Amino acid sequence: MAAFAGTFVSVQPRPRLLRQSLATTSISSLKSLSFSNRGGRLTSQHLPLRLRVSCAAKPETVEKVCAIVKKQLALPEDSAITGESKFAALGADSLDTVEIVMGLEEEFGINVEEESAQSIATVQDAADLIEKLIEKKDA
Amino acid sequence: MASFTMKIHCFQRNFSFSSSALVPVQLPSRMETHFWYILPDEVKSATLLNQYLDILSPCEKENVLRMHGDNLKKSALLARALVRTTIARYQINSQVSPTSLKFRKNIYGKPEVDWQNHYDRNPPPLHFNISHTSSLIACGVTLDSPIGIDVEEKQRTTKNNILSFARRYFSPHEVESLSIISDPEIQRLEFLKLWTLKEAYVKALGRGFSAAPFKNFTIRFRAATKGHLHLSGNSNSKASEIIVESSDDPKTLTSNWQFALLELTGSHYAAICKEKDDDTVEGKGSVPMKLTVRKTIPFVEDQCISGKDALVLVGGL
Repeated sequence: MAAFAGTFVSVQPRPRLLRQSLATTSISSLKSLSFSNRGGRLTSQHLPLRLRVSCAAKPETVEKVCAIVKKQLALPEDSAITGESKFAALGADSLDTVEIVMGLEEEFGINVEEESAQSIATVQDAADLIEKLIEKKDA
Repeated sequence: MASFTMKIHCFQRNFSFSSSALVPVQLPSRMETHFWYILPDEVKSATLLNQYLDILSPCEKENVLRMHGDNLKKSALLARALVRTTIARYQINSQVSPTSLKFRKNIYGKPEVDWQNHYDRNPPPLHFNISHTSSLIACGVTLDSPIGIDVEEKQRTTKNNILSFARRYFSPHEVESLSIISDPEIQRLEFLKLWTLKEAYVKALGRGFSAAPFKNFTIRFRAATKGHLHLSGNSNSKASEIIVESSDDPKTLTSNWQFALLELTGSHYAAICKEKDDDTVEGKGSVPMKLTVRKTIPFVEDQCISGKDALVLVGGL
């Protein structure tokens, strides 16, 4: 099909990196931890918004994936999860990932092969794979 | 047993942050596995965390900072710091420091040390593998044999029903061994043991998860007495070894892998899978894994752990 017919165009800012200063003076126990951007790497304020064009997953699919991920990882409802969120960065270990895949299979009535499951790194990857499998199923 | 005397020799306390003293350690023998772990809750000092951040590569630092939330950033940081400091300890070569170590991935994505120019030839064949939960991060080290480890909190629950999960991902024999357990709590614990062992095996194979789909191999426990094989259903009945069998091809060689299952500080299961030394593959009966377990706070203290804090459930010494 033509690459841009019925395209879903999304403009998604990167998840914000919290830039916090390090408390270097005290060695005694701290209640909270702070990290600074060592090495002068960039925060989202320095980067232009990314224009994303994809012929892939519908927003509803991405949303459903986000919901399943939030539930599996017990993240608060207002967590900033988008298509770009990486499972690893959200704290999903291998058991979580497998459970998420199982949840997706049940939600969408599909079967995910181990090889495909391995290539899923972000929420968007999962959503794209789901729609591909649904398409194959309905074909 | 032998581990008691080892504990006395290994216990060292070193509080000098500034001297960055990493206590060096002898390479494991080919029969041994070294298991190091760190408890994030015991690391509170911002200065120390800074010190750890300093030894990471720019790429690793980026990955740490990309994690969502302070706790995830901290575990990611500690995991990299643990790997770098642990491997650096084994070096007789003074050019190798935690910071100078380079890593790469094999063609399947398994991380390994990239010795580069540190050794002109014959770098030590050190293998390692890491695993983490939010409350414990571990690194296993061997000499000359692939290793895979996996740790899991004992209190971990699954969102899905255990048997549904097992039917989807485990082998039929494993599903059966779980379904005959009537107590849900015991069933959950046995599930976690199987999960960590299966993970450890796949990670030891190092060819990615699709190369050894969970459904295609069975982990089982058996009480191996000379001559008799009592195939016990779960690990509670005096099992002395863990074996893996390939479901789809019985001829697939699996007897070259040995396993150990530990319970750490009463709160975590740790599974270790290591390729057997050539000499022991053909040996009689099961050969328990020689394990040295150490808890560490790099640059601060190392402690040999044994007894109730590192309870060997199956397969290790």
